[in-house]
Amino acid sequence: MTHGDPAHAASVILGLSPLWVATTLFVGTYLVIMSDKLNRAIVALLGAGLLILVGVLNQHEAMAAVDFNTLGLLLGMMLIVNITRRSGLFQYVAIWSAKKVDARPWGILLMMSIVTAVFSAFLDNVTTVLLTVPVTLLITDELKVKPYPYLFAQIFASNIGGTATLIGDPPNIMIGSATGLTFNDFAIALTPIIVPIFVATMIPLYYYWGRHLRATDENRRHVMGFNEREAITDPRLLKQSLTVIALVILGFMLQRQIKIEPATIAVFGAAVLLLLDNLGKDAETQSKNVHGALSEAEWITLMFFLGLFILVFGIQKAGLIDMMADALLKATGGDFKLTALAILWGSAFLSAFIDNIPFVATMIPLIKAMGPTFGGENALLPLWWALSLGACLGGNGTLIGASANLVVAGLAERAGTTFRFVEFMKVAFPLMLISIVLSHAYIYFRYL
Amino acid sequence: MNPPAIYQTVFPKLTDTDTIGDAMRRMLDDRVSDLPVVDASGKFIGMFKLDRLYATLLPKAALIGYGIPDLTFVSDTLGQLRARMRKVEPQAVRDYVVPPDHVVHPDTPPLEIVLLLHQGANNIPVVDRDSGRLAGMASARDLLTALQAGDKK
Repeated sequence: MTHGDPAHAASVILGLSPLWVATTLFVGTYLVIMSDKLNRAIVALLGAGLLILVGVLNQHEAMAAVDFNTLGLLLGMMLIVNITRRSGLFQYVAIWSAKKVDARPWGILLMMSIVTAVFSAFLDNVTTVLLTVPVTLLITDELKVKPYPYLFAQIFASNIGGTATLIGDPPNIMIGSATGLTFNDFAIALTPIIVPIFVATMIPLYYYWGRHLRATDENRRHVMGFNEREAITDPRLLKQSLTVIALVILGFMLQRQIKIEPATIAVFGAAVLLLLDNLGKDAETQSKNVHGALSEAEWITLMFFLGLFILVFGIQKAGLIDMMADALLKATGGDFKLTALAILWGSAFLSAFIDNIPFVATMIPLIKAMGPTFGGENALLPLWWALSLGACLGGNGTLIGASANLVVAGLAERAGTTFRFVEFMKVAFPLMLISIVLSHAYIYFRYL
Repeated sequence: MNPPAIYQTVFPKLTDTDTIGDAMRRMLDDRVSDLPVVDASGKFIGMFKLDRLYATLLPKAALIGYGIPDLTFVSDTLGQLRARMRKVEPQAVRDYVVPPDHVVHPDTPPLEIVLLLHQGANNIPVVDRDSGRLAGMASARDLLTALQAGDKK
């Protein structure tokens, strides 16, 4: 294990130790992010800027630290979703699924959860809940049933579904980009455990809420009266979007063969969809459409990532990551199995309370630093799956564990349903623990 | 002689104990889409707006501003909407009062009122600074009337 080489460190102002300066800025930035007092993009960019200003990094190093593959993949998928949603596809699928179960309350809860999980596997979790939760609220309003169990289940479904693929959750995108693990690698490694976790989550929800849900025949008839075809507002755009999404996912699946990074596939797909959406339209309409699609991208998230990459590289260069990896190895006695399971459980507990994106950003170089100890980077595979499962599923533990949780709570609040931290955690934390126990068994028996 | 007022001092209004049914009838009779609401002492407490009333007919999911761009797939009939409205009618308007977008005062310069109307305001309450009582209502029509009266002079 090698620590940061001070000889390669840029000169820090006042001759201060690069390690201490970088660590102080890093910890300070993370504390302000956790306090939620300032927008996280502002904090991350300020922290990254300060690292350069005080001399821990120079601008060239800072730019080289930014993982544009992660940013490009996120941006490309955001653009594709922003264009696709105008077609009404997501409302169509949600209504169709509710009618498939004859508008029975538990059936709808289950189907909406499945729809949310599947969408989340291919789209960003926050986008997924923004698209599906309003339809859930509409349906529960018509059924005259309490929306809380439905929304709770959708929170879990979005975080569980997002864990299944490379593109489902930002931690996976970051891990995939840093390690070269492909869409197929994630799907093959994680889907076999995600399906049982989903089932194991739905069973307690049925006994706790599902079996008590009742709706009158008349209210069910209202839902059955929904015409899902009317939800499709732009059939041409729908066909174009589905074609592009299918090709993009095919591209992800063939990533290793075609040797093209996911960011290129996603951004190219977005560009093709923008082209199709604007063909034959006048310049003003094109400008309006493109501006709309670009401005609706989650720029806060993208800028947050940009700042984080620089911050984490700052402490990596200063030697803190190596020291943390050494400390973790010391704590686990260099035992590979114990290290993997410690990463799983540690990630789950921490991600239940803090944002999993900065956590994973820090863990990636830390795990990479363990490569020499455990026989090279190829041997680290179980650690990556442990990090992914822990960080993504841990977010289900509390209301603040994942962005999607807070977005659902916000939408629910506006529709008159309140989510409270403790009330949510009483049910969510044990369910999250079940998912981590299953992940523990899966990693242990399959990979260790 | 004082110039003609740019606002009306005789105007339709509601008291906070009036019902939604009363408000609807008043709106139909006076052909307005919003009415000022005062308390028993005549103090202005806000506006009752038709769009707030229409919101009660809509599913809450359509009001959260995201995810439901239209409701063409919901086949609720006019009869169902009427039934929903019947449930709301006995409620007091005080539960539906919203703060006004703009308030002016009897001494507000006419040009400021013209600016607000130009910016899209309609039916602006004129409130006495000291007592908080509703002194009048200013609308685009009142402005036009006041301007024409000036021409005749």
